[in-house]
Amino acid sequence: MTNILDILDLSIATADGHVLTRCDRLTAEKGRIIGVVGPSGSGKTTLLRSIAGALPNGVPTVAGSLSVLGKEVLALPASELREFRRRHLGFVGQDPASRLNPRMRIRHLLAEAAGDKQFSAQQILTDVGLPATDELLGRKPGQLSGGQQRRVALARALARRPDVLLLDEPTVGLDAVLREMLCELLRDRADKGTTILLSCHDIPLIEELADDVVDLGASVGVPAVLTEYPVPDAGGEEVLRVDGLSAWADSRHRIPILHGVDLSLTGRGALAIVGVSGSGKTTLARAITGLHKHVQGHITLGEQPLPLRVEGRDPAQRRRIQLIPQDSLGTLNPSRTVGATLSRPLRLFRGVPARDLPVQVAGLLHTVGLSEEFAERYPHELSGGQRQRVAIARALAADPDILVCDEITSSLDASTAEDIMNVLIELRSRRDLALIVITHEIPLAVRHTSTVLVLEEGRVVQHGATSDVLASVFHRG
Amino acid sequence: MNRVVVRLSPALAMILLALLGPLLAPHESTEPVTAPYALPGFGVPLGGDQLGRDVLSRLLDGGRDLLVASVAIAVVVTGIAAILGAVSALRPTLGAIVERTADVLILLPVALGILVIGVSWPGSGRIPVVVAAIVLGTPFAFRIAAAAAASVAASGFVEVASARGERTLSLVFREIMPNLRTTLLTLLGLRFVEAVYVVTTASFLEVGTQPPTADWALMIRENADGILLNPWAVLAPSLAIAVMAVSVNLAFDVLTPKARNRTVTQL
Repeated sequence: MTNILDILDLSIATADGHVLTRCDRLTAEKGRIIGVVGPSGSGKTTLLRSIAGALPNGVPTVAGSLSVLGKEVLALPASELREFRRRHLGFVGQDPASRLNPRMRIRHLLAEAAGDKQFSAQQILTDVGLPATDELLGRKPGQLSGGQQRRVALARALARRPDVLLLDEPTVGLDAVLREMLCELLRDRADKGTTILLSCHDIPLIEELADDVVDLGASVGVPAVLTEYPVPDAGGEEVLRVDGLSAWADSRHRIPILHGVDLSLTGRGALAIVGVSGSGKTTLARAITGLHKHVQGHITLGEQPLPLRVEGRDPAQRRRIQLIPQDSLGTLNPSRTVGATLSRPLRLFRGVPARDLPVQVAGLLHTVGLSEEFAERYPHELSGGQRQRVAIARALAADPDILVCDEITSSLDASTAEDIMNVLIELRSRRDLALIVITHEIPLAVRHTSTVLVLEEGRVVQHGATSDVLASVFHRG
Repeated sequence: MNRVVVRLSPALAMILLALLGPLLAPHESTEPVTAPYALPGFGVPLGGDQLGRDVLSRLLDGGRDLLVASVAIAVVVTGIAAILGAVSALRPTLGAIVERTADVLILLPVALGILVIGVSWPGSGRIPVVVAAIVLGTPFAFRIAAAAAASVAASGFVEVASARGERTLSLVFREIMPNLRTTLLTLLGLRFVEAVYVVTTASFLEVGTQPPTADWALMIRENADGILLNPWAVLAPSLAIAVMAVSVNLAFDVLTPKARNRTVTQL
């Protein structure tokens, strides 16, 4: 039997020699399920994406060979590559929900992916465990929950019956029942001849499902020092308490986003808020910062009640909670230099006189591991990781007690994400900073936080020590 | 750099001619110097108009007011629209009120406004025309500015700035406006062309400017009867209006910064 997939001594590196992924040997026959495992930064995602013929930005160097169905995908011209992907490949990336066109109905999303007339949308929905009703087919992605969106994305990949199915972390954010269902579905598809590659942090799932396992081994992107994850002691006293916080999308309180969320954070503590997309994580961050308009409930900062809206808070209260927002491109003002961006909070909160600003800005940049020359740069001259460092520096300029980090690593590659998290962890012990880390990457939450709160459709479903909560998520069922 | 200068030069030339024209005019623009509708000849390169006045002198004399009025209208309309647009994006409640008002004003045609002014204040000069053009032109520009500002207002850096308690005007001028440069410069160019249309239409209808003032639009109207006798009396001011509108709009296009590259991932 011929191999569907053949990889020999593949190594992909950036132009400056930073190795992104390395795979010595990987072969797959028809109908096999291959699990790709390895620590964060070992290049699992890069490997899956390169099998789909997509290389990271910036003209990386490729050594070795990678052939799928007998074709060297990385050498295919663009039009043939598109044709090849259309006919033979199914790819579901991390956070697949964001890849669904929000303006199209589910019916059309599926039909577009299937591309043939005989295809049955009902059948494919049943396969992924969604109710095969006309009502659901008529909805748009925004009207589905995060978990349902993930399954629609998977259904899209399956609709064309691809020869090779590539799944990047398919179980993140799925509960035990859905995870079980996904296992059965993949097994069934493999029996019908689809070759499946899945990257996963969830070792029990890989053991249960995979015929072969490829271990990308020691991380190539993350320096060895960072594999020890120091978790500082949470320093006793409570700094932030949220009681019964509810939020709505509209002023008439018709579309609820959060239902009575309670949480508490201690000084120097680190709280992870996890949940699938659409579970209300960002709204919770904005509500704590006072930016969300339609909220009810109580927030206590230190011992004092905190007004819910930022307009009602005094400068000292505003200084103590700082937000690092989600979108890495929109987080910095593109028209201002890094220096100007950092100077503003320094003047506003600390009244630093103009002549001292350059020194203070340089100090902030050093704190987040950037040299002082960055003060002259504009955001588009920075990499994604550098932009996030500047965003952290801007938050630190206010000298806060609590940092609210909203998915600050989600658009970064794994090794940069680790670096950013390490900057935060170091600050946490050095500056008496409490962290709220919002993320959909559970492994990241496990390594860097002491307590975790799991949100599901706006409700807290679990809240406790990180190790306990996540162990039960992984091993339920 | 050189290409930029080359593409800016038509506009600079037109602006200089319009501003300095009155000083260069060979004859008094209101005195007859030749026969009515005389063909171009010695001393009158573009011939004479209906009263035998020098067309070239009137041409050099008649652009400045048009240019100044059009620039003033374009700048004021774009400025008001930008500020209102940014404020509306930040304060949706206020934004809804401004938008409804704009919707109503959009229904009124500018030409109608000009005619009303012409009837109500005969011989009132240019100021009412400029005011009408601003009042009736701003709603269109506001719509565009508000739409552009909405996406900027939702960005992370604006959220962070409002979380640190920045005032609305500080958000508008520090955070939002600098990022609307491209849209606003394009808008300014378009509003300039529109302003030229409005001011010339008004002059053509004899609202605002009155004979015997030299004015390009007025020249077209006055000399239209003699177009077969001396076509230059009509063609020259028509071309001048067209070249001014197009060249200045082109200059704004050259000055507009190109959108910066953004990282886009494949797949």
